[in-house]
Order: sequence, then C-alpha cells, then structure tokens
Amino acid sequence: MRSLRHLFLARQLFLKEQWLASAETHRTQVCRAVHSPPTKDPPQTSTGSYVMPYEDVFAQEQRNKASFLEVIKLYCNKTTRRRGHVELIETALRWMPEFGVEKDLEVYNLLLDVFPKEVFIPQNFIQRMFHHYPRQQECAIRVLDQMENYGVTPNRQTRFLLLQTFGERSHPMKKYKRIMYWFPRFRHANPFQVPEKLSDPVELSKFCLQRIAADRNSSTTVFEMPSVQEREDESGQENTCIVGIQSPDQVSLLAEHDPSMPVLVDGPHSLWLKKTCVYYYVLRADPTSIKKEVEVDPERSLYYPLTLDLDLDRDLGDDYSFDVDEVEEGPVFAMCMTSSGDERTLGRWIRGLQKANPILGQVPVLFRLSSSPQELTPQVVTEYEKTREVEEEESEPVHHRMEQ
Amino acid sequence: MALSLTILQMNMYRTSPWTNVIGLKLLATSFHSQARLYNNDYRRPGLPPENKPPWEYFNFNIGKGVQNLKDHFGLLKKEIVDHLKGPGGKPLKVAILEQTSVLWEFRNPEDLKKWTVSSDFEIGGKSTAYLKLGKNNQTAFLYGALNTKAPQDGETNYSGYCTMRSRPPMGAFGRKSYYDWSNFNSLHLRVRGDGRPWMINLRADPYFTNQKDDLYNYFLYTRGGPYWQDVKIPFSKFFLSSRGRIQDNQHPLWLDKITALGMTLGDKADGPFQLEIDFIGLCKDQAHTEEFAYEKYK
Repeated sequence: MRSLRHLFLARQLFLKEQWLASAETHRTQVCRAVHSPPTKDPPQTSTGSYVMPYEDVFAQEQRNKASFLEVIKLYCNKTTRRRGHVELIETALRWMPEFGVEKDLEVYNLLLDVFPKEVFIPQNFIQRMFHHYPRQQECAIRVLDQMENYGVTPNRQTRFLLLQTFGERSHPMKKYKRIMYWFPRFRHANPFQVPEKLSDPVELSKFCLQRIAADRNSSTTVFEMPSVQEREDESGQENTCIVGIQSPDQVSLLAEHDPSMPVLVDGPHSLWLKKTCVYYYVLRADPTSIKKEVEVDPERSLYYPLTLDLDLDRDLGDDYSFDVDEVEEGPVFAMCMTSSGDERTLGRWIRGLQKANPILGQVPVLFRLSSSPQELTPQVVTEYEKTREVEEEESEPVHHRMEQ
Repeated sequence: MALSLTILQMNMYRTSPWTNVIGLKLLATSFHSQARLYNNDYRRPGLPPENKPPWEYFNFNIGKGVQNLKDHFGLLKKEIVDHLKGPGGKPLKVAILEQTSVLWEFRNPEDLKKWTVSSDFEIGGKSTAYLKLGKNNQTAFLYGALNTKAPQDGETNYSGYCTMRSRPPMGAFGRKSYYDWSNFNSLHLRVRGDGRPWMINLRADPYFTNQKDDLYNYFLYTRGGPYWQDVKIPFSKFFLSSRGRIQDNQHPLWLDKITALGMTLGDKADGPFQLEIDFIGLCKDQAHTEEFAYEKYK
C-alpha cells in the first residue's frame, strides 16, 4: 500500500516537474516578448577569489533615496512572482536609516507595494481563524512598526495597499487602525512644537530664546549677524552671531540690582529641539539674602484700609497653593545664544546690553563658563571653576580682552 | 512619536514580589547608582548563569535582622498612629478640605532614597542616569546621557531609555501599601527640563497577575530654559499600556491603589539630558470635569 502511494507521488512529481520545465521556457519567451530585451548580465567580478560584502555595493555618497528606489524597482521588475519578498522588505527596513529614507512615507508605501496582491487574503473562515500567511503578515506589521517608530503617519494609499494585500480583517490592517487612532490624538499634545526646518542660525536662536523666555513681552535683539567678519586682530574670519532676549520685567529687575553685587554670565546650558541640541547663556545674579522692604503707604490706616482684599467666593478649604518652600535662586536678567561661547563673544553681548541697561556699566560681571556643556550641572561653583572666573569692571572688558 | 512607547517602560516595573519582600536588590543599591528594576527568571543572552544555591539569597546577619525588626515595628507604630489620626495620617477635617497635597519633595538625601534610577544599562544598553540633590539642596537633579545603540545580543531591537521611579510604599512586615489619590484629579509637577519630552508612568496595583506590567502613561513636555515650569496633568489623560504597547481596551485610572510613579526619557536623541524636579504633588482642579480622554467602547 505504502509503495503504491510512493509510486503515485513520484509520478505526480514527475508530471509536475515536466510541466514546470515547459512552463519555465514558455514564461521566459513571454517575458521576452512583453518586456524590453533583458539587459546583459553584470560583469562577473566574483570569480571565486574576490567576494564583495553587500554593504559595499553602495558607496556612502550613493546612499540616497534614488538608489533605494532603484533597488526596489529592480527587484519588482525582475521577479514577477516576487519570490523572497519578505527577506527583501526586512533588509530594506534595516537599511532605510542608512539611505536617509526612514521618514519617507512614499518609500514605505513602495515597500508595502512589493507584497503580491490578493494572495494573502483569507478566503474562508478557517483561514481567517488561523494566522493566514503569518510570515507575510508579521513582515507588514514590522513595516508599520518602523513607520510608527519614526513617527510617520500612514495615508490612504497605505490603507489601500494593506487592504489589497491582506484584506480587511488582517493583523496589519489592525495595526494600521491603531496607528490612525492614536497618532492624531497625540499630534498636538506637545505645547512646545518645533518646526520641521530651522536652518538659519538667527531664526533658530530667536525661536529657542522665545521658547525658553516664556514671556510674550520680551524682545529679541540680534547683536551680531552671522556674516563673515574680517577682524583686525584675528587671523581668520569669525562667523559669530549673538542673539539675545530681554523682557521689560527683566530690564526693571536689572535696574534695581544692587551695583555692589556682581552679575553672572552663566552657561552653556543645553536646550533640545527634537534631536538637535543648542546652547544658551544666562545673565543672572546670585540669590541675595537681603530682601528689599516694600514701603507701606504712609497714608494707609489699618482701621480704614484703602483696598479691601477679600476673596468672598472662596471657601475655607479652597487653598490651592502648595505647601513647599520656594527654591532660592537668583533673578534672570537676560539670555543669549551665540555660535561661539568664549568670554570675548559674551563680553560683546554684555556691551550690547548696556544700551538698554546702563547699570551694567557699574556692575562687575563674572563669567562662570563651564568648559564642556556635556558635564553641565547646576552645582555651586567648584574651586577649580572659581579660579577660572574673571572679574572685571564692565566699562572696558572688551578692550581688555581684545588686547590679550 | 507617541505610540512608540516600545522601549520606554518595557522593563520598568517588572520587579518580582519575591525580591520586593526580602528587599535584597533594592536595599543593596545606593540611590544614586544604577539600580536594577528588571528581575525575573529570564536570562539575557551573553550573561553567565547564576548558579547560586537558594540559601545564598538570604542574609543571615543578626544585626541586620534586628535592624529590620526595628524598622518594621516602627512602620507598625506609624500605621497605628496614622489610623487613629484619620485618613492618610491627617485629621479628617484637613483631609476633606485639602485641595492640594505634596507627594514628594527633595530637600535632603533621605528624600532621594525614595527613588530608584535606572536606564537601559540593565538590558545591555549604554545609557547612563544619575540622581542627586541640586543646587542649595532644594531640588532633585536627574542627569545622564541617553544612548540609543541597541545591545548586540540578537534579540533587542531598540534601546535608549533612562528612568526614575519611586519606591513602592511598604507596610509593616512586608505587607503592601498604596497611595490613595482618589480625592484629587490632577498631578502637579514643578520641573525644569532641557526641552526633552518625558513620560510619566503610574502603576496601579494589579488585581490579576497578568496585569502586573500595566502602566498608565502620559507625556511631560519640558520647556527648557532657566525658569521653573508648572505642569498639571489630569489623571483622565493617562492611557493604559502594557509592556510598552498601548492597549486597545482603555479605561480610566483607578486612583485608590497607586503603587509607583515613574518618569522615563526615551526620545531617541543621543546625548546628555537633565531634569530638575522641585516637587511632585496632587491637586483638585474643579474646572476639570473630564472622566476619561479616550474612547472606552463599552
């Protein structure tokens, strides 16, 4: 009985092979008739002695969107049966950041287009019940997962492609629906949105300073444009730009500052805008223990107060303040961003600030600059840094610096 | 963006109850160093097997045992006194009338011991995170560097997170204890970040063991700059996730059995980060009436 079955199977296989062989020849002929004549094979470089790793196929400068699309197009045109498409897609996903297309929706749609259409749609309830074509579905989920990871929102074409490939009730479709449910919910959750492109350093500095100043009344001032400046004492040219910000409140705060106490130029502090890190400097003072006594109006009588401050709509328990001590910190007078954070540049900023704040001419200015912003900590100045501090009268700090 | 919590709290709250009760690993690590939050039977590739006999997991030091006993009786005393005083150790009148409550503030090194700092270091990553008191000993300063390079162990695809988590409250003699925040509807934080987005994770005590990885998350966007930032996050905004994946069946967070609060950074940007925290508190926002911000489909 078993031998009979074997015989039958072998016969079947033989027939199939024959059919396959005939079909193969037939297919090539058809292909040649339809398509343009196949291009010649690439020159045989690998003769057994030389093996090129596939990482080296594309040079670093060739790794762009065009060559990425070229490879996918080559695959799609070469194999009509799309054999090995899962492997191709997974490899492509891995290489997407290298080619700089990891945030390109068009490329993701093209990758989903590699799947053969309508083959993986379940046709009956058993197929639907079990994981129909699991490897392909997982591969499509991986594509969607990478889209999600890079924050790429799918569009209608993605949905159409998934519908065509896997059908309505498939796992990739579920994943697509989840993304489309949650992404729009959190799209505007961030109150501090960062624009996509900020290439101009002045615009970037203005944007950052307005963000951290958190005051609509504050005004940004461009102290130096990043133009190429020929400086007489420097050998080369410097592309410095100094953009500062100060609000009217800060101006009045600085005007009330005790001229015997020094003000500090503190920095660099880091600010992250998505994946770029910029640095800013703060003009501030150390916290003072002496509080200014606010003079009470001499005309005011305790028995007949001029104003009556009663919160009548408040209940006894309606105390919305938190029972915490205020963090003692010195006032912030101004902030700036420069392309180079040395004392000379910051001195020019202080000199520019003198126009609006004449008190800076009398107040000593300390530079408390840490060498590496990576190790930025709000520690009290250590002994080492104290030696680096430069104290001088603000009337001629810049000239003094320039002589050095 | 938001949905990709993939690595954020993948390994955050998976401390087994065993280590919690005997408090071996948690007590052994100092507050500013990298602690392991990830303890289970699974052994990651590349790590040697831990062939220890069971008795080596216990510390038979008598002095430590006596100290432990003292601590537990102290806890018991505190529990009894608090119970006599009123709900949560406050007089009833105060507890009913209070509109705000400060949960954590950072004024001395003892306050830092209520927190655990961890990073992807424990899954083989290269991020670092440290916690210390800030300037003037008035704030907590969480700093370090994020590194998204995934460990090459053949199974990890993503890496790069740094996290800080409060230690779960413990009752006397290893009993569980919870925070009851049901009087309040918003979380209030005063922080000063560097512009990076963080994630607030809340863990409620699970009823079934398969919910032990459930976390309730929302985002904490920092402004950056030299000024303090007051952030108020209503509890209705917190969404349910498990093992870093947002769940389909969402429900509002039940506030009567909160065990831990955590903050996670995982914004995929390599580089140093810092976050200064003044305090973390609760407030009752009468203007906020929303029960749940997402559809429940029930």
